[in-house]
Amino acid sequence: MTHPLTVEHLTAHYGTTKVLDDLSLNVGAGELVSLLGASGCGKTTTLRLVAGFLEPTAGAIRLGDTDLTKLPAYKRGIGLVFQNYALFPHLSVLDNVAFGLKQRGIAAADRTKRAGAMLERVGLSQLGDRLPGALSGGQKQRVALARALVVEPPLLMFDEPLSNLDAKLRVDMRVEIRKLQQANNTTALYVTHDQEEAFSISDRVAIMHQGRIMQLDTPEVLYQRPANAFVARFVGFENLIPMKVTAREGENVKAQAPGGVELSLPVSRFENIPDDFVLATRADGLSVTADPNAQGIPTTLGLRTYLGRAYQYQCDSAAGPLLANGPLSSPLEPGSTAKLVPVLDQCSILKPE
Amino acid sequence: MLKRLAGWGLSTPATLLVVIFLVLPVAATIIATFLEPKGLFAPYQAFFASGFRRSVLWRTLEISLVTTFVSVLIGFLTAYVVSRTPGRLKSLLIIAAVFPLLTGVVVRSFAWLIILGKNGILNNFLISIGVTDEPFSMLYTQWSVIIAMVYLFVPLMILTLVGVLENIPDDLIQASASLGATPAATFRQVIFPLAVPGIIVGAVLVFTGSFTSYATPQLLGGESQMVMGTLMYQRAMVAFDWVGASTIAAIMVVVTVVVVLLMTRVARRLNPMAT
Amino acid sequence: MTTRLNPSLIVLTVLVYIFLMGPLIIVLGASVSDTSYLTFPPQGFTLHWFERIFEMGAFRRTIITSLQIAFLATGLALLIGIPAAYALNRYRIQLPSWLSTLFVLPILVPEVVLGFSLLRSVAVEYQTPIFATLLVGHTLIVLPYCVRVISASLASFDFSIEEAAISLGSRPLKTFFTIVLPNVRSGVIAAFILAFITSINDVSVSLFLTGPGVSTLPIQILAHVEQFFDPVIASVSVLLMLLTVAVMAVVERTLGLTFLAK
Repeated sequence: MTHPLTVEHLTAHYGTTKVLDDLSLNVGAGELVSLLGASGCGKTTTLRLVAGFLEPTAGAIRLGDTDLTKLPAYKRGIGLVFQNYALFPHLSVLDNVAFGLKQRGIAAADRTKRAGAMLERVGLSQLGDRLPGALSGGQKQRVALARALVVEPPLLMFDEPLSNLDAKLRVDMRVEIRKLQQANNTTALYVTHDQEEAFSISDRVAIMHQGRIMQLDTPEVLYQRPANAFVARFVGFENLIPMKVTAREGENVKAQAPGGVELSLPVSRFENIPDDFVLATRADGLSVTADPNAQGIPTTLGLRTYLGRAYQYQCDSAAGPLLANGPLSSPLEPGSTAKLVPVLDQCSILKPE
Repeated sequence: MLKRLAGWGLSTPATLLVVIFLVLPVAATIIATFLEPKGLFAPYQAFFASGFRRSVLWRTLEISLVTTFVSVLIGFLTAYVVSRTPGRLKSLLIIAAVFPLLTGVVVRSFAWLIILGKNGILNNFLISIGVTDEPFSMLYTQWSVIIAMVYLFVPLMILTLVGVLENIPDDLIQASASLGATPAATFRQVIFPLAVPGIIVGAVLVFTGSFTSYATPQLLGGESQMVMGTLMYQRAMVAFDWVGASTIAAIMVVVTVVVVLLMTRVARRLNPMAT
Repeated sequence: MTTRLNPSLIVLTVLVYIFLMGPLIIVLGASVSDTSYLTFPPQGFTLHWFERIFEMGAFRRTIITSLQIAFLATGLALLIGIPAAYALNRYRIQLPSWLSTLFVLPILVPEVVLGFSLLRSVAVEYQTPIFATLLVGHTLIVLPYCVRVISASLASFDFSIEEAAISLGSRPLKTFFTIVLPNVRSGVIAAFILAFITSINDVSVSLFLTGPGVSTLPIQILAHVEQFFDPVIASVSVLLMLLTVAVMAVVERTLGLTFLAK
């Protein structure tokens, strides 16, 4: 049984500080949505509100047809995986996994069987008798996962579950989490500050800032078409160039960049271009060329660094400081002048801030 | 090698103090009880042959066990409330427990003398509301000693357990709730077992403290409620029966050690984490 | 975490705190009662009983002895306890593990047993002066506090700082005083206070070691109560409570009261 999670107009305060501002969110049945953002952005607050550890000032939380807003935490039935695993140190691994079943009044024999089967699924059937203190970080994480999953919760939530693991294990574990979530077809809410982690396992990602969702979309859209300057910077668009439309000619829109250069933007690629806009690219989306006749933003080259696949230049351009990449075949000297040509495929158009 | 020497050098004065003035004298006291000309265990046979002394040992055990049980119960529940109290009020409650703890045993026992005496506050109060015409004799009973001892040890219990309860991460309580445990179930299955090591430490402190106490039973129990501590003093300083006093000392040490070991065992069974 | 507390638990807590504070308030009230016997609520108001304390030679003398013993015993225990605590932490691998148990032995051994044994095997056997034996007894019972509290604060001290200072040319002994000691300052203060209070309030060890002419305040109180039941004892008790308040104020000023919670 899997249900969609609906969060409507959720507002929360810590004392007098507003930490969550009219947040609405919908996680479809069987979908995995991540809340991504820096610490203090409200992602953990959202999770704690849904879990029932905090009370909202306003708004509603629903799971399927059930209104959770006023329900105490222990009646919500949500599976939770904690950052520090939160395993009960005085209970064996098996008893930890069986804990939720026990609360549901399931007979001892049955819960041992089900907990044992769950442990087998996460590959820890040998460790049932151990105490959590004797486990490695990765093993603890698996136990935490098994403990949350064994009760077959309608909603599974993760609070930075991998942040205490080393890099290699993190990758393995996130694959495992995704597999288990999909196999059980469980609705899931996943909180993390790690962009790669969020993008790799989520159906959709909500990028949060100051208690609000800045954009909620699939990882692909977020990565290629950020909707605003905040998200653009968050996903690594280093260059934000202010532009002005000079002419609209059928298939193309002509726009002027600082320094006078005029670019032609195909309408087929960019929709609804406002008169004033920001052209956003990563360093890869600005190509450095020494050709003085190229249609690009004039610049003086600064420090050059070697990236392996390209050279990267810190540019002091007519549009301000920019970051651009140039081919390995023709390294340019710092101090020389060059042109920066936007690679339109890799550009995004944003409203000015 | 040099480090070893430095380590020993620095700890020598303290080591000598404890060895010369504690280990050796206490060992001498205990050994002396086995060197009596009347036989190896003669002083102990004498002790247990005396109905009066047996009753003192029994009474002391009874008082200590009741005191420990009541102190642990009250202390644990109070500590639980204190640990869940927010900010400033919590500091206030902690200070209110520290204050009596830092105030001496004599002062705190004496306070109960004023309350429980024949012309004490409690009797005056009971007479004034007409519960009784004649004052009750509450002083110099087993219960007066127990009340004063509970009073003595509850603050210690509260402070020990507040620390223990605060060390239980909030995460665990939330995890328990998220798995469907009611607050009562969380209390029974998570909070209590995790507090067991602290409860045992507290219980050992209270038991050994009350089993070996002198001032409180002396003030509130007097001659009629003699316990091991007061009996030992009486043997040593009034009757000058040093062998008798040494025997009592040895029994005290043995009981204390046995109880510590026993309670550690219990702790390990209730919570495999406990050491 | 918003767990609501059971109301009956809150009622119990309120009762427990009334139980804890009530008797001390009663002592305070009784100490200012203008009657020749102990009573509460006080009838009238007088500070006469506080003056009486100092008019009575026995109290004057024992207060002085108690203070002397407490300061000397605490000082001695710190003097030998600090190096011991330092050694236990700095040379942990080189020293046997039973050594740290040895230093807490005075807490584990029943105090009456310790007092009696000192009387029997030291005071009587070697005819040592009463004051000296009393001082030794008190130094013993406060030593565990000094070693343990200072050990605890040394446990969080990073000894590589000390090595850094030595590598920069500081002599070991100077390094100890300029680098190590300032960093465990709060531990030393806490140890001092705990030790001082323990010594001032001690009954069980002093009981056997006081003698003609030399006694401590708690022992004198016990002796006085056996014969008289007047408010002098209440006012002496209030003095001791004031000492506790003063100690807590010192803690608050130097370490913050939250320190007491630990």
